[in-house]
Amino acid sequence: MIITKNIAKYFGSFQALRDVSFEINKGEIVGFLGQNGAGKTTLMRILTSYLPATSGTVIIGGEDVAKNSLAVRRKIGYLPETPPLYSNMKVIDYLRFAAELKEVPFKRQRNQIDKVLEECNIKDVRDKTIGILSKGYRQRVGIAQAIIHEPDLLILDEPTSGLDPIQILQVRNLIKDLRNERTVLISTHILSEIEQIAQRVLIIRSGQIIVDESLQTLLKTSGNVQGVQSTLEEVFIKLHSESNEGA
Amino acid sequence: MNKILSIAKKELMASFKSPTAYIVLILTISLFNIFFFMIIDEGREASLRDIFKVMEFMFVFIIPLLTMKIFSEEKLTGTMEFLMTTPTTNTAIVLGKYLGSLAFFTLMVGITVVYYFIIEYFGQPDQLTVLTGYAGIWLEGAFFLSVGMLISSWTRNQIVAAIGSYVILFLLYFSISFIRYFDGVAEVLIRYISTSTHCENFAVGIIASADIVYYVSGIVLCIVLTRLSIENRLWR
Repeated sequence: MIITKNIAKYFGSFQALRDVSFEINKGEIVGFLGQNGAGKTTLMRILTSYLPATSGTVIIGGEDVAKNSLAVRRKIGYLPETPPLYSNMKVIDYLRFAAELKEVPFKRQRNQIDKVLEECNIKDVRDKTIGILSKGYRQRVGIAQAIIHEPDLLILDEPTSGLDPIQILQVRNLIKDLRNERTVLISTHILSEIEQIAQRVLIIRSGQIIVDESLQTLLKTSGNVQGVQSTLEEVFIKLHSESNEGA
Repeated sequence: MNKILSIAKKELMASFKSPTAYIVLILTISLFNIFFFMIIDEGREASLRDIFKVMEFMFVFIIPLLTMKIFSEEKLTGTMEFLMTTPTTNTAIVLGKYLGSLAFFTLMVGITVVYYFIIEYFGQPDQLTVLTGYAGIWLEGAFFLSVGMLISSWTRNQIVAAIGSYVILFLLYFSISFIRYFDGVAEVLIRYISTSTHCENFAVGIIASADIVYYVSGIVLCIVLTRLSIENRLWR
């Protein structure tokens, strides 16, 4: 589904990404981890064609992002870090606008909107203005716009940040439900979440991918001497403390 | 095409959901009314020529208020990322936004058609001059809107966008006042660049192709530059 080869990204002289290469297969849920400023959002923006890579290629669903970005964008549902919402619009109007821009056929728009309202559990706020919604609702409206055109690939940038535990559970279940149908790339700081939903983990540090393994192997190989599996949190902290000592 | 209309519709709806639009609309129309009364009361001439002049002058101040948020607000709230990651071309985004603000502007100018009926009731205005006058005013406003939109696409700060637009519009509108300090090529250039020379012709009933070319090319240029500007990732 996603193939990236040697992506590099410079902002001026600052190198945000270096030599990033990985492949994600159809139907996988991949957790994307890294400290703040490691390059997660930059990479996601490159995948969604919002930012161009300085060098390297990204191929999504057989299409080159740089050459055929419109075709790629049709396949992607993207939730940026801050949900991109128009605060003076009603939820239902916003979703209709999203459906129109994402080329949902006119006849199916109503159905699709009802479906995502149901799936994201935001039916009760459909006629409310987005500006007055709480953070949890906003986040879910953001997810609703990402899945409204039934994309093959979902890219979610910290979908559970700022939610309360119940809402986190709801969003997590939503993502779990979605995974049967599509490929999901999800970035988050909540590592236990990745442990529960992802099959594979990519860890990025200072713009480089340092781990690209299935979750099980990663936890097994870095288990401690007694053969007890470590948690993802321990692995993550270990990987980053090593780098600090090295530096 | 559908998407252009969706974006235009959204823009127009957004205008009416924010207080700015109403304030600008009410303020503008009230000021127009006052000037209309003063001009008609004083001159007793059944023509809209002078009111067109006042409108043109006021557009310089009002239009930046309408255009300042077009792109800067989207950039600030992150919805630009949403627009640009949907399968919508940049051209459609720019055209949709432009059409949306043009629709609002047209509505604003449309309300003043009442003035025509008032002078029609009391006198015999030259219909053709009124018509060309409106065409000129509308083209001028459309040009100012495109300038404002272009500047709004450069920044995420609405105040900066408004001030930038004021600077450019002042240069376009008031440059003619300084013409006596220039001669030769500079004088010709300033005369051509200045908007008021072009709008004047329309107000007295002259439709010259040079004036239409001036406005249309200005609008097209600004739209093309806006498209380039939102494509330029350095500014995001």
